[in-house]
Amino acid sequence: MKAKNLWKHIYIWILIVFTLFPIYVVIESSFNPTGSLASSSLIPKQFSWVNYKALFNNPAVPYGAWIRNSVLIASANALISVFIGAASAFAFSRMRFKGRKAGLQTLLLIQVFPSFLALAAIYVMMERVYTVFPAIGLGSLGGLLLIYLGGSMGVNAWLLKGYIDTIPMELDEAARIDGASTVQVYWLIFFPLAAPVLAVTALLSFIGTFNEFVLASLFLQDVNKRTVAVGLQQFVGAQFGQNWGPFAAGSLIATVPLVIVFLSLQRFIIGGLTQGATKG
Amino acid sequence: MNRLAGFTGLPAQIFKICFIAIVDAILIAMFFASTHKHATSLAIVIALVALGANFVYFAKFTLPFKFLFPGLVLLVVFVVVPILYTISMSAFNYKTGNEISKGQAITQLLQTGLAPDSANTTYDMVLGKKDGDWAALLTEQVSHQVYLGTLKGTTKLEKGSYTLNSLAIAGATAGFTPLTADQTAASDSAIGALKFPLGNGQFIAPQSADVAVLLTQSLVYDSKTDTLTNTALNRTYKDNGDGNFANVKDKTEKLLPGWRAFNNFRNYTHLFSDPTVRGPFIGVFVWTVSFAFLTVIMMFGVGFLLAIALDKKIAFRRFYRSILILPYAIPSFMSILIWNGLFNRQFGAINGLFHTHIDWFNSPWLAKGIILLVNLWLGFPYFYLISTGALQAIPAELEEAASIDGASPRKILRLIKLPLMLQILSPLLISSFAFNFNNFNLIYLLTAGGPTDVLHGKTAGATDILITYTYKTAFGSSEQNLGLACAISMIMFFIVGSLSLWSLRRSKVLDGF
Repeated sequence: MKAKNLWKHIYIWILIVFTLFPIYVVIESSFNPTGSLASSSLIPKQFSWVNYKALFNNPAVPYGAWIRNSVLIASANALISVFIGAASAFAFSRMRFKGRKAGLQTLLLIQVFPSFLALAAIYVMMERVYTVFPAIGLGSLGGLLLIYLGGSMGVNAWLLKGYIDTIPMELDEAARIDGASTVQVYWLIFFPLAAPVLAVTALLSFIGTFNEFVLASLFLQDVNKRTVAVGLQQFVGAQFGQNWGPFAAGSLIATVPLVIVFLSLQRFIIGGLTQGATKG
Repeated sequence: MNRLAGFTGLPAQIFKICFIAIVDAILIAMFFASTHKHATSLAIVIALVALGANFVYFAKFTLPFKFLFPGLVLLVVFVVVPILYTISMSAFNYKTGNEISKGQAITQLLQTGLAPDSANTTYDMVLGKKDGDWAALLTEQVSHQVYLGTLKGTTKLEKGSYTLNSLAIAGATAGFTPLTADQTAASDSAIGALKFPLGNGQFIAPQSADVAVLLTQSLVYDSKTDTLTNTALNRTYKDNGDGNFANVKDKTEKLLPGWRAFNNFRNYTHLFSDPTVRGPFIGVFVWTVSFAFLTVIMMFGVGFLLAIALDKKIAFRRFYRSILILPYAIPSFMSILIWNGLFNRQFGAINGLFHTHIDWFNSPWLAKGIILLVNLWLGFPYFYLISTGALQAIPAELEEAASIDGASPRKILRLIKLPLMLQILSPLLISSFAFNFNNFNLIYLLTAGGPTDVLHGKTAGATDILITYTYKTAFGSSEQNLGLACAISMIMFFIVGSLSLWSLRRSKVLDGF
């Protein structure tokens, strides 16, 4: 180690301690049978699964239902929004029509407005929808999904258009010369080629929905319909000291799969991140 | 082309027609369900979507719109309409006490403007039908006088013209059919609205399925002058233009409930002129801007320095990197809740570690510091990643040329790399500013906007940013002011929108199509 680089090592290690501190405490407390934070020390003394068991045997805390709701709504939103967004992006990228430029600019402007800024309006609207269609109104996962879909449409269409522009046009043209219609080009040429990009966009969309809190907490009042974000927040907020152990266990169960997926796909995800920077 | 053959011709056509038929069937069913419940605006939206779908998918010249339509519908119905609705709500006096329409408010006022007579006259009641319409046999509990009430009027019945039932009250008379128990149970809500007029503004109204009381209408509505008059107190109330009926002689005496009334965008002027609204709003606004600014600078500073420190020459680079991007991989709501727990006064690991008893979230300055620290934890990996990307995008020749000219590495960093990086990253810095400007999760899950000085009547907490303040204004526990919340939302739309637009103009994205 060169002395010149000493500051670099010190800096990196300070950040590593900073990064790992909360993660370590959560892992430690999730296996700590005393359950409360008060007794948790930095060196683990006991080890047990009691917090994990408590999470699945408490009827007041339907953790399984929360996970199911979160996964359900996040995957539905990811799949549907990427599917529909890809069609829009394809039209914007490959077709020339009246209003295309204006449409793209409007899309860009709309997608910078986070949809939860209109939350009071969304609340009142969905309250009225509820009186006619309870299944897609306030309080339902279906209604929340519709709001998410609307919100992710602009972002996904925009993101995907950027990727689709990089797929060479020659392939489309070759298929067209062979007599394929636009719809065939879309399904048989474009869709398979874009599949990896669609998957990454879907994954980002999944993580985004999984993280969403404000609309979900406004929408889902019924304890069984909550997502993990809303459920855990209400659970831990009620009795911090007492519920900390099971909360730590619950947060690990929900987090570990996502972190593994993220780390294994980091090349693709991070590639997309910096693209905006280097192109700009 | 064999592989493509299956997608064309008759099968594809049949599939398309079946699919659209199913969509149409669902939309038509939804349309009739809405008209049935008198949800006109909902019905119009559904009808437009159905008509649009059929037009786009059956007309010949709309190819691009066949691809755009589903996304367009979702975007318009669930993003554009709420934005437009936010604009319209922001022009209304729409808050707790002013939530219903004027017609509903008048109905409720008239219902509450009822008073029992001084003797509290009560009747035992048998409900039934006469000539196909609602009627009731009413036996006064004190005098045992029997009346036959119909919707047109109430008549006294002489002894002998009715027969008593097992409870010793009038149970049957000519032309009157009593309800069965099942019928009574089924028409619960209809019974509650029944009134059997007596004349002189008095009437008998059911209180339950078998008891009725004598009521006097003390509040009278005159639709010609749009006024309400309290006949007992001899007071007149007039529409005050702000969603309430107010006493003509004393404007502060308002009748409740009011209604949501168009108030000429007064919510916006309140934000700047009404001291009870302006005070908290300006405080929150200043903190929002300074928080977003400070946090982006901190995250960028730490992330950029890490990108320099973690260059290619460092051993274990990949290992360090995997650890240091962990905060970016963990769902942020989870990390925020965890940090909240760590700073808990009684049970938190931080007080435990240092053997202190600091009430972190109860001091405005400590709470603000924690917010910046936690957001730094959450955000520095992102800035490290984009800084690394940007550093790699700077041509190596620049560095070489500068070092040949005798510049020290530090000088190269300060005079060449940093300015170039700022230029490359400025769109991302601006969008990060916009994101943190609206970072609801961070504030709400960490401090919930607190600490709030409730003792001094403060409505906004020390760490509230505009979006959490809007949320409190719209859905708070004491008063919910949706109109004001929408006005604040619009101001945020404006700030974030113009910032993004400015950034897009600079990066020339808008010209590139």
